[in-house]
Amino acid sequence: MGSFIFKRSFQSILSLIFLVIVVFFLARMTGSPAMLYLPPEATQDQIDAYNALHGFDDPLIVQFGSFITGVFQGDFGNSLQYSRPALDMVLAAFPTTLALAAVTMPLVLLISIVTGALAAYHPGGVFDRLASLISLIGASMPNFWVAIVGVLVFAVTLNVLPTSGTGTWQHWVLPVAVLVLRPAGVLVQVMRTSMMTALSSVYVKAAKAKGVKARAIIFVHALRNSLLPVITVASDQAAGIVNGAVIVETVFGFPGIGKLMIDSVLMRDFAVIQAAILVTALAVFLINIIVDISYAFVDPRIRHS
Amino acid sequence: MRHIILALLACASPALAGPETEVKIVLPAGPDRLDPCEMPRSVIGRIIKQNVVETLVELNYADATLMPRLATSWTQDSPTEWTFKLREGVTFHDGAPFDAAAVIAAMERTIDPALTCITRTKFFDGVDITATAVDPLTVKFTTAQPSPILPTLLAQMAISSPNTPLGVYTNEPIGTGPYRFVEWVQGQDVTLERSGEYWGEEPVITKATYVWRSESSVVAAMVATNEADLAFSIAPQDATDPDMDKVYPNSDSAMFRLSVDVPPLNDIRVRRAINLAIDRTAFLGTILSEEATEATQQVGPNVFGWNDSLTPWEYDPDEAMRLLAEAKADGVPVDTEMRLIGRPAMFANSNEFVQAVGEMLRAVGLNVNMETLEMSQWLEVANKPFDPARKPNIFLTMHDNNSGDAAFTVYFKYHSNGRQSELHNPELDALIEKAATLSGDEREAAYNEVFRMIYQDIVSDVPLFHMVNYMRIGPRIDFTPTIANAVELQLAKLQLKSS
Repeated sequence: MGSFIFKRSFQSILSLIFLVIVVFFLARMTGSPAMLYLPPEATQDQIDAYNALHGFDDPLIVQFGSFITGVFQGDFGNSLQYSRPALDMVLAAFPTTLALAAVTMPLVLLISIVTGALAAYHPGGVFDRLASLISLIGASMPNFWVAIVGVLVFAVTLNVLPTSGTGTWQHWVLPVAVLVLRPAGVLVQVMRTSMMTALSSVYVKAAKAKGVKARAIIFVHALRNSLLPVITVASDQAAGIVNGAVIVETVFGFPGIGKLMIDSVLMRDFAVIQAAILVTALAVFLINIIVDISYAFVDPRIRHS
Repeated sequence: MRHIILALLACASPALAGPETEVKIVLPAGPDRLDPCEMPRSVIGRIIKQNVVETLVELNYADATLMPRLATSWTQDSPTEWTFKLREGVTFHDGAPFDAAAVIAAMERTIDPALTCITRTKFFDGVDITATAVDPLTVKFTTAQPSPILPTLLAQMAISSPNTPLGVYTNEPIGTGPYRFVEWVQGQDVTLERSGEYWGEEPVITKATYVWRSESSVVAAMVATNEADLAFSIAPQDATDPDMDKVYPNSDSAMFRLSVDVPPLNDIRVRRAINLAIDRTAFLGTILSEEATEATQQVGPNVFGWNDSLTPWEYDPDEAMRLLAEAKADGVPVDTEMRLIGRPAMFANSNEFVQAVGEMLRAVGLNVNMETLEMSQWLEVANKPFDPARKPNIFLTMHDNNSGDAAFTVYFKYHSNGRQSELHNPELDALIEKAATLSGDEREAAYNEVFRMIYQDIVSDVPLFHMVNYMRIGPRIDFTPTIANAVELQLAKLQLKSS
């Protein structure tokens, strides 16, 4: 187990280094951000001065060298837009997104495991059809549309939730609900299929023959065996929450990393893009390692091999 | 389960805007810094301008006249010298006195090359200005070149406290205004509070909180549910409540710039045909606000130098086709593919606008290919150096001149050395250079002639509209927005409705 985790971490670090290099050069291929920051009337002298001030006139390889030196000293450079250390900004925004994901994912798992498992017990039954329909709608609705309709219905018409912003727990209801929708829709389908496979196995027939109650068969005998594909897809969806967070944070004015990334890409704020990508990638790799460990936890065959 | 959810929802009644005299204001985007020297940027100016930091001279945006603010009077001593008398008994929020030394410190900080202050890059670059104290309440400005509009320039310069740090940006603006800066929570809000020691009349509003949301329907919902009192701009489709939604000119003028050196756009008949082929009035009240107005030039009526004698192009597709046929007969390659270039969210429904224009141009037989460029790509096309191998382009631009004088527009848009100029007309260059040195009626006449030449003789672009914004104002607040709100919102002008 230990060597397995070590191997995975080593692979992750290699990918991380590759990612840092790609992001650095891709971002700079778009040219100098000077014109985005200077007024349109700026003269060539002003543009040159701006580029010199921020080191954009150095050869790319020199810029990369000083960036890497900085990273090893924990210095990602300053945000062009905010004149603040990029890492500080990313670390200030990250907890918000992390909290959104931390509330969203358990809800997604709870909803999809329970719904998917129950739907699989009577395939083609009323509950199954209803669950399929609703999960399909959930998985296919665009986030930004649901978010705006959510605001119009719950904040404007019913006046029971705030429109946007942070502060109280009520502010979290709509953003979390929007974020839950898509992964839950996908996972219900995965859980249902996986549970149906498990339910057709011999040990379930044996349990049925013994007269074990339906609920016990699903949640005691079959559940653990049907979880592996769910965990795999769930880890994918968890990483995808960062995507969803871009939209949710923008619509609801949450100061998270999704919004920070979009803004910094649009403003070519290189230092912030780099810091945000690196921190997010680290988080995704951590999720993957946790998922790998949980495989072993759920399935003893992996643990002992 | 359902009962629990309903019970939870029922007890979750959203927070309303604060006590009676406090307001919450929604901006379309949050500030990236709050340095007084960046005040001409609307994202900053709308919070701090004339609220926290004031200017020596205040620009009346409606008619481009100047009013005293921190200076009580000013005189021009020679073409390169201006003397300003300062208001007595004014102090900064940090206790520093407002005097000639403070003005000199603010000026020096603004033009410090260690900072890329927009006030310097936009208004004071190349002006080569020095300020000296005549006595504690009199300042003399001397410029290397004649500066007939120095007071107009100074209407853009914030007077910040002499204790403001030099050489680095600050996010804690300290000024003399009726409101002091309290705090900026990154990514969330900015708070201002009435200072209580203002030299002028005490305003009604005691505290203002600024938040920002980019999604227009959410912004509109915030004011509709009393979570906020005022929103600077909502999209036309969200402006559904005439009691709350007030229209105001946002000082933006939309226009297509034509690459006049590239065939077939180097033929004036083709440029005229494009102007005649676009049915501008069809857009008003449909995908653009009905309050937007047809433009004939790059600046609006609020700018000194605007020519009021020009009338908008008629919509005449038959005449457009005739001109194109005539040009074709003379060997002009009118069938060449042209790029019709827009940018997403340049204004509300701008993509739809470009598509519709594309169809109108095709209808008269032009070969246009629509393209949407992201901001940085768009800037590459907008600015010199132009790609020598470029295709002819019909390029959507948006220009705002809220400094009150045509000089800030014509040089960089139309002079041979202008960064966004397609033109190199010696006669026009000479006129633009001359106009900048004139003042009063002569100056106005010169700029009038500049705009007439561009519109009638050269036809280098397709003037479209002077645009408007919708401000949504909650039921507690008594306020009528004006063109000034494109760049500022003086909290002192907000009144409460007596209920």
